[in-house]
Amino acid sequence: MLQTLFQLVKTKSATQRELFPDLPVYSRGLPGVTGSPCQADQGCRLCTDACPTEAIEIVPEPNGGRVSLDLGRCIACGGCTAACPTGTLVEDRRTRVAVHRREDLILTNWPVAPPPAPAPLLPGLRRSIHIREVSTGDNASDLEVSAANNPIFDSSRFGIHFVASPRFADALLVTGPVARAMQEPLRRCYDAMAEPRLIIAAGASAISGTPHRGGYAQADGVDAIVPVAAYIPGHPPHPWYILHGILLAMGHPSVR
Amino acid sequence: MSSHAMTPSRQPAITLHLVPLADLEARLGEALQQGSRLGLLTARQISDRPDFALMTLLLHPAEGGMALWETPLESHAQTFPSLTSRSPQAHWFERAIYDFFGIRPEGHPRFKSVILHEAWPEGFHPLRDAYASAPNDGDAPRRYKFLTVQGEGVYEIPVGPIHAGIIEPGHFRFSCLGEVIQNLEIRLGYQHRGVERQLCEIPWKRARFLAEAASSDTTAGNAWAHAMAMEQILGITPSPTAQTLRALALEIERVASHLGDLGGICNDIGFAAGAATFGCLRGRALGMGERLTGSRFQTAYILPGGVVRNLQPERRDDLLRETEALETAFAQAAPLLMENPGALERMEGTGKVRPSLARDFGLVGPAGRASGAAYDVREAFRQVPYASLTWQVASAEEGDVLARVRIRVQETHASLGLIANLATSLSEEEEVKVTVPTALPPDRVGVGVVEAWRGELIHLVFTDAAGHISRYTIKDPSFNNWTGLAIAARGELVADFPLCNKSFGLSYSGNDL
Repeated sequence: MLQTLFQLVKTKSATQRELFPDLPVYSRGLPGVTGSPCQADQGCRLCTDACPTEAIEIVPEPNGGRVSLDLGRCIACGGCTAACPTGTLVEDRRTRVAVHRREDLILTNWPVAPPPAPAPLLPGLRRSIHIREVSTGDNASDLEVSAANNPIFDSSRFGIHFVASPRFADALLVTGPVARAMQEPLRRCYDAMAEPRLIIAAGASAISGTPHRGGYAQADGVDAIVPVAAYIPGHPPHPWYILHGILLAMGHPSVR
Repeated sequence: MSSHAMTPSRQPAITLHLVPLADLEARLGEALQQGSRLGLLTARQISDRPDFALMTLLLHPAEGGMALWETPLESHAQTFPSLTSRSPQAHWFERAIYDFFGIRPEGHPRFKSVILHEAWPEGFHPLRDAYASAPNDGDAPRRYKFLTVQGEGVYEIPVGPIHAGIIEPGHFRFSCLGEVIQNLEIRLGYQHRGVERQLCEIPWKRARFLAEAASSDTTAGNAWAHAMAMEQILGITPSPTAQTLRALALEIERVASHLGDLGGICNDIGFAAGAATFGCLRGRALGMGERLTGSRFQTAYILPGGVVRNLQPERRDDLLRETEALETAFAQAAPLLMENPGALERMEGTGKVRPSLARDFGLVGPAGRASGAAYDVREAFRQVPYASLTWQVASAEEGDVLARVRIRVQETHASLGLIANLATSLSEEEEVKVTVPTALPPDRVGVGVVEAWRGELIHLVFTDAAGHISRYTIKDPSFNNWTGLAIAARGELVADFPLCNKSFGLSYSGNDL
């Protein structure tokens, strides 16, 4: 007991004070798309060839090409950013990466109207949210959700609490691609929640099923089963990404 | 302590031996009696017609060798004689053969589906017909019957698939008398994503990304087992430096995972200070993996032919500093749990698995070593670079929660030592990626066996006459160890189950694939 107390006092607070810091320089982060002109017009296909999940599309144009990258399908393998000769695709270590709408995960090298200012999805939540986690086949994402709960990221300082039952949850946080045998349990879990309620999809596998999508097990992501209010990219998503997604869904002041 | 520049890979090419069905039971029984392990028992299609063969991968830990047996079944065979009564290690493997191939183990003492149950239609066997389309929803669902324990006052507690914590789904059916568990039936399969068939369907160069997601908390282990199997098929050998970097990733994964499990143990005891402490230490270990690979879970780093990149000298020094700091911090944190009388009281004597049962069912990894089996793939198969390293393989006889926890503490220390040795011995100049052919050679087989943090992890891959992957099978260590949990829970209090469960720390998705 005394030993424990001594250790705790010695350790002091482990919590990261800075909110949403960039990932360390040695991290790959997620790929990002810059305005730097692409060489698709010269037949360059290095990024699409490198991408294992068909997350990138390029369309040649005079003096360049249009590049779109779907973070919802991206497993952050670093293949495209290592291959891109023009700096159009680069490593992006920012951590405010969650979005409300699926289409906002698609990054482009041409201007797209910015998404409208996020409105709180459940008015009145804002300062506190109770979450039931449902895991469906990507245990690394589960571990990152647990990490968001640890003293370093300390989700409870934002009023985020993980609870044991959908009966007293405001939100479901789903990880994994929701293959066939988890579809009915997920639906039932959702049905057991009181309204208003929302769903957050954490990780590329939850968003689109990658790298499992397309097989006989129908592991094609959460929104094939229940409606999703916030999407968190990453494979697995970093704890800061997860916190960003949850706070975004809450309409929390720190993500305004 | 250094990996020698010219050390050849000790992974020998594996050859197929034909073992007739009539001899299989006796030969398997004898081999297991003599100390071999059943690495894998599965099936594969051997012609265009529905002709199947049973595939038995035997591992000989004492000599560091392995053997692969092929046992052709009759054309259109619907059954084969079960091996489980003589060799209990086969029990879940045989049930899986039925689920995936529709070939029934006749005489299996407890026959029922193990992965594909009520969510799947009767008659849907995804590996029987390689081109069978998706399951037909119009077909009647499979039926599943739980074992019923009868007697006055016996009642059942159904738990899951969705559990209360942040953990994977699975169903536990407890039959209890008072507070005591009489029987625990574990029904998994909820995470089945069709990994094995999809690995045959996608371009093989992309297979590594799916293979390492088989159980994504074991990315380095799965990626290495995949690379090992593919390199045998391709006939290529990675450089010693690449092997050293792979071992670094594997040991970092072990440290991070063991620390996470120790935090989980604290959590299940209700010891919040311990959970917080180990949770933070785990974060430091993930940071080490991020320095090595660019990713906290070390994704997309190990690939057939080597690894993506070497460790830069300044990053290596940084990693060595972190290793030392983590060792110091862990040496201070471990006694919080291991010398805490309240925690010891909960762990000691709880969830026992006797060594004889651990042997019968072939438990692996920390759970096997806690019950008397001093089997560690790294040591048994003298793989590069482990052949040139020394460390103590932790083992115990007690087989209780405390023993499983103690093994993790010892292995964390040992792995931190290995990381320091490996990182120090790294060569900066050598290539870390050899040239990999574009096409796979036809009719080859490759096997990758790795001591992942949960234990023996196997990837077994076959190519067909056209050089496509025709069968890809994965045996996660959890596939052996779930039975250990069912044994450990028997006779325990319901309230001790979460602690027992955490002390095994099993993968659901690796089991379900």
